Amino acid sequence: MKTKSFPGNYQNLEAISNFIVDQAQEADFSSHEIYAIQTAVDEACSNVIDHAYQGENKGLINICVEIINNGIKIIIQDDGIPFDPEDVPEPDITSPLEIREERGLGIFFMRKLMDEVRFDFSQTIGNTLTLVKFRGG
Amino acid sequence: MEFIITEHAQIDIIKIKGRIDSYSAPQLEKAITALIERGRSQFIIDMEEVTFISSSGILLFVNLFKQFLRENEGKIAFSGVSDLVVSGFKLAGFDRLFEFFPNQTSALDHF
Repeated sequence: MKTKSFPGNYQNLEAISNFIVDQAQEADFSSHEIYAIQTAVDEACSNVIDHAYQGENKGLINICVEIINNGIKIIIQDDGIPFDPEDVPEPDITSPLEIREERGLGIFFMRKLMDEVRFDFSQTIGNTLTLVKFRGG
Repeated sequence: MEFIITEHAQIDIIKIKGRIDSYSAPQLEKAITALIERGRSQFIIDMEEVTFISSSGILLFVNLFKQFLRENEGKIAFSGVSDLVVSGFKLAGFDRLFEFFPNQTSALDHF
């Protein structure tokens, strides 16, 4: 299990991605699976900055990566205001572009690309997002 | 992310290198907006050296497409996009909005 903390700003998204890619490579994922994990974590961390912290440099993004049997578990924790991705409706990607609401695309990506997306909030720990992906899943 | 803009008569080629994410997408948007304000409206986005694009990057191009549609003017196409990078467009169903060419030359030939 590896844990790293990053100040919550957009510039750090690249360092977060590099950390996640290194771990996913160790877990023997394919290049497409690694890209999918990288995308889901990038969207999750952007949401932390946008919604939980409501701006840059308001707190830390703590990331814990565990290589599990046949996959990877990534826990993303922040001390921002409660933000449950489940409350965001999925965009209707079949609706006409002119009227289509694009909000929620990042969460849509997370749900599509990972096998498990779970949100928890507690007063002591804050927001905890758990992302799981299995090899070949 | 780095980008280089090259003007070819009516068409601007924007060659991007690196990641297009919540950090870099606003910088790119600013540069494209400045081009549009100068009256430019035909863009080939060369993504051969783009390693990653997030939803914020994809939405930048979708919003540009919508703007061109509303104003009935302007065109955007992509060249050299890798399978990995195009996968985000496909997942959101946005791949059908754009033309994707294998390289700059074929994009310029068909633009």
